[in-house]
Amino acid sequence: MIWSAFQLSLLVVIISTAIVGVAGLAFAYLIAKFEFPGKELLDAVLTMPLVLPPTVTGYYLIVLLGRNGFIGGFVYDLTGWSFAFTWQGAVIAAFIVSLPLMIRASRASIESVNPNYEIASYTLGKGKFETFLKITLPLAKRGIFAGLILSFARALGEFGATLMIAGNIPGKTQTMPLAIYEAVASGDDKNAQILALILTAISILAVYLTNKISRSHIYG
Amino acid sequence: MLTVKVKKSFVKKGFREFSLDVDFSANDGITVLAGASGAGKTTVLRLIAGILTPDYGTIKLDSQTFFDSENDLNLPIQERNVGFVFQDYALFPHLTAEQNIAYGAKIEGKSAKLAKARELLTLFHIEHLKDRIPAEMSGGEQQRIALARALASEPKIVLLDEPLSAVDVETRAKLMDEIEFAQTRTKIPFIYVTHNEAEAARLGSQHIKLRTGIVIKDEVFENRESLV
Repeated sequence: MIWSAFQLSLLVVIISTAIVGVAGLAFAYLIAKFEFPGKELLDAVLTMPLVLPPTVTGYYLIVLLGRNGFIGGFVYDLTGWSFAFTWQGAVIAAFIVSLPLMIRASRASIESVNPNYEIASYTLGKGKFETFLKITLPLAKRGIFAGLILSFARALGEFGATLMIAGNIPGKTQTMPLAIYEAVASGDDKNAQILALILTAISILAVYLTNKISRSHIYG
Repeated sequence: MLTVKVKKSFVKKGFREFSLDVDFSANDGITVLAGASGAGKTTVLRLIAGILTPDYGTIKLDSQTFFDSENDLNLPIQERNVGFVFQDYALFPHLTAEQNIAYGAKIEGKSAKLAKARELLTLFHIEHLKDRIPAEMSGGEQQRIALARALASEPKIVLLDEPLSAVDVETRAKLMDEIEFAQTRTKIPFIYVTHNEAEAARLGSQHIKLRTGIVIKDEVFENRESLV
């Protein structure tokens, strides 16, 4: 139980954090640097999972991605496959709840980069993408790393939305937080204890790393 | 020769906060753009570089048109080939002096770019700064790197926005010599923005003075040497 939950959690969290890293950065850059209609709405919608009860987020995921959902129904008709009760569903849940943390942290650090550095790069003939990769990204890396670590930790602890969309199937969709719940419910104190300790250790490490990064002194 | 004939208004909450209406040409020498703060000097530089877009008018450098509102032409900043020296230098804080200069060097290949950077470091006698990051340099040193970085991109014009305002008085004279040296070597127009009377008096083959967004004086000196 512990081993399979640990493996599954790791799989889900690594994949979701990788997607969060790329998507979160793209959204953060878009929101930080561009003015477009619907920008405030987009920002609000992406931030919602931060304040919504996770079960509500999960409910919307079912409405959207379930077998009869707007997107999920289409996917099911086309392929006969659905996000519901799969580990991929757990990845989506972890992704959605941790995305706002990544966007917020990286947006703040992208906005804190002196725009003259980017303008200087443009005057030197560099395009927007190259400037982002070579100038903005390295200068904003502290906030971006902090966002990644927070997203990783949030994804690891995800419970409510995962339960809604992916269920609690041991060996298939039962991640560590769900396994703890089941261990306690069935009176399996020893397993609950071990899982709680593993999650606590990872969380402490995440907080330690985030603090270390935000306190590190770079470029005078 | 640079010709600038533009209008630009800045509106804030419905009120016209500041408007600029300038018309001048600059020779292939150092043109000093003087005036009190708020006169619109930096705005003019930013319009030439393409950082800001005029409301109306034309900006031309020799045969190349940067901006023309009549023909809906607005050359992107990347294609204008201007060397910009910022007031705060805007050296990339995570790169060494050498990497800063090599960044925009107009030559293919990483080692060729670095070679070009070293060449410019030697030209300005600042080889010893090669491996330092901006935080480890004085204001005057950063200014030299900023000028070298601008020149590495082989610009057709160099725009300097109060380049010496963060430098002590002793270093200032030396840096002005270096800017003159760079201009003589490249033979391209340098537009030098300053609000400092002493700097304005010492530099330039042309003086343009702005006040509240309008050119109030435009003098060309045929023989600068006789004036000093």
